[in-house]
Amino acid sequence: MLTSRTLLLTFVLAVVLAWVGSAAAYHTRFVADNCNYAAPTPTSYITREGSAAVALRARHEGYQWGGGCWNDNDRDDSPGDPTTDAGTGGEGGDCSGFTFKVWREALATSDSSFHQWGMLRYVHGPYTAASFKAGSGAPNVTAPKSNLIRMDALASDGHIGLIYAVNPDGTDQIIEAKGEAYGTNIWTRTYRGSSSYSGVRRTGWSS
Amino acid sequence: MRAGKPSGRRWLVPIVGIVLGSVAGVASVALANAAAQRSSPPQRAVFDATHLPPLLTTPGERVDLAFDVHCAAGDVEDAEGGCDVSGAVFVRATGTAAFDRIALSPGSSDERRRLTASVPDSLASRRGGFEYYAEIEAPDLGERLTVPAGGADAPHVSRRLENSLDVALGRHAFGADRREGARLAFASWGDGATQAGLEQGRNLPPIGASAFDVDAAGTVVVLDQAHRRLLRWRKGARSPVHVPLSVTGTLADMAVGNDGSLYVLESTAEPGRNPLVRRFDDAGRELEAMETAERTSQIRMTPDGAVVLAHPSHHWMPITVDGVPASRAEQRRHGRSSRALRSGGEIVVFRHANELRVALVSGRSMRSWRLTSDTPLAEVQLAESLGQRLVLVVRLYDDSVGEFAVLTLDRNGLVDRFTLDAADWAETAPLGRFRLAGRSLYRLGSTPSGAFVDRFDLEVR
Repeated sequence: MLTSRTLLLTFVLAVVLAWVGSAAAYHTRFVADNCNYAAPTPTSYITREGSAAVALRARHEGYQWGGGCWNDNDRDDSPGDPTTDAGTGGEGGDCSGFTFKVWREALATSDSSFHQWGMLRYVHGPYTAASFKAGSGAPNVTAPKSNLIRMDALASDGHIGLIYAVNPDGTDQIIEAKGEAYGTNIWTRTYRGSSSYSGVRRTGWSS
Repeated sequence: MRAGKPSGRRWLVPIVGIVLGSVAGVASVALANAAAQRSSPPQRAVFDATHLPPLLTTPGERVDLAFDVHCAAGDVEDAEGGCDVSGAVFVRATGTAAFDRIALSPGSSDERRRLTASVPDSLASRRGGFEYYAEIEAPDLGERLTVPAGGADAPHVSRRLENSLDVALGRHAFGADRREGARLAFASWGDGATQAGLEQGRNLPPIGASAFDVDAAGTVVVLDQAHRRLLRWRKGARSPVHVPLSVTGTLADMAVGNDGSLYVLESTAEPGRNPLVRRFDDAGRELEAMETAERTSQIRMTPDGAVVLAHPSHHWMPITVDGVPASRAEQRRHGRSSRALRSGGEIVVFRHANELRVALVSGRSMRSWRLTSDTPLAEVQLAESLGQRLVLVVRLYDDSVGEFAVLTLDRNGLVDRFTLDAADWAETAPLGRFRLAGRSLYRLGSTPSGAFVDRFDLEVR
């Protein structure tokens, strides 16, 4: 009798502890449980419309520093990820990883051809916000801010966002992976007039 | 006498229980996760449209309406697959009842999802302007949207400028015509009782002291969103008192209401919801929380209450109607292209490239200005009437510098002009940097040491 009770008690205790431990760690398992490393699909051309569609699929998803994998369920599947650790495996891209995928770039910085990465493909790409700002890499060039149009970018040393639309008051609607508390979405911003931000353009658009 | 169990067997049962329990616990969590993944919703169709409404046109100007439609079928990763889109605009002369339908035409083969329509001269040249909305659909996706969302109940209004005053700003000299303001408030960055906080996050640029306002008594209130509180400087006070607020702690705009209550417009929301406007009393108690109809960029007070500028409709939408919180549908139905001013009348702002058009509308009369600049114009931070004058704060920029120009205009032209350095070290709500109260302009600025509010007294005749 005592043996059975001991077995039951320890079993239940272990189940509870395993649940608590596993569930607590779950929010850091988005990448492990969902993402893949499939090869990108080369494409012969890209359009700004097409890149807008890629960006819109990431809308309402999460943000992960150093990340680059998301689904399309309009919520952050790993909310509250530690903001100081790139290795937590949460959902979402960071600002530069998001831009890399939306601009459909290649891992080799010397390669300006077009690569379609799946949403669930875990990839960040070789660029930081600062390197985008500098126009680093074969596909990227700096551009006058006053000439920027939709799906061009505004980049600072620490952040990059893509122009989605222009508002009548001269602000821009920017689609961006902003931060853990924000996720990825469209917001009105005033980056264009800020001296911290420079204009960046992906080259090779068909339209 | 009972013989004791050997010590190894005494621990065997609990160990077996722990092992079995751990395996069962981990396995059940894994199964639950796998089930959750299997039940993840599939990739959905994308369907959205952007449109820059020509809110103010000039006589003789050709008026084309363009809608960029973004769409892709669900479960198709190929972003270039797109979809077929079509639509129509419904146009009428302002003040008339019936809308005429004009089919939207697709662009070239490279821009199949840019739909355009030209407004007939007979409408575009009408003195009172015209009103319109568009209906766009992607039949294959079963998707349809109305732009602006209020449709026939709240169409875009495009006004024609009559006898507008042309003001050529020329090439801007950055750093010239600076004016010093009186410093009313300062809070260094930090977590102390009188300090302002910066949002925490890897790779986040500095974000803090999100917005501010000044009430009729001269009290300055700064939204210290990172600390989820308000910093309040009574007139003449050197140090602020802080008032806790239940806000999300992310970028937000704010406005002091006509009754002294405080409105905070959030920029982030729960999944599936739009950002909230929260109303607080003087002590920080939340009185109401109202969901906005669309994503929003700013909140301002009108004689009838608070309005938010909503996108993609680009409409000022009331968050209450007849004093009662408005549903999202009601907000859309009451949206307007113009904003009612506390001083009476309405204001319309339209910046396009290096030209800025502003109209003060009162009934059938309109006073308007058309400003051109050889230096690029960014956002209009503030546009308010002051007596018979118009006060504008607009950012001018080139690729290495940006600053604000404060312009006071009357019916004869530019009355006063000075510049302010950007002082935008920390990010705020996009249009949270300037307010006009009484005869003074107030600005919220920041440097690496802290956030401040300065006052600039404007000359008024």
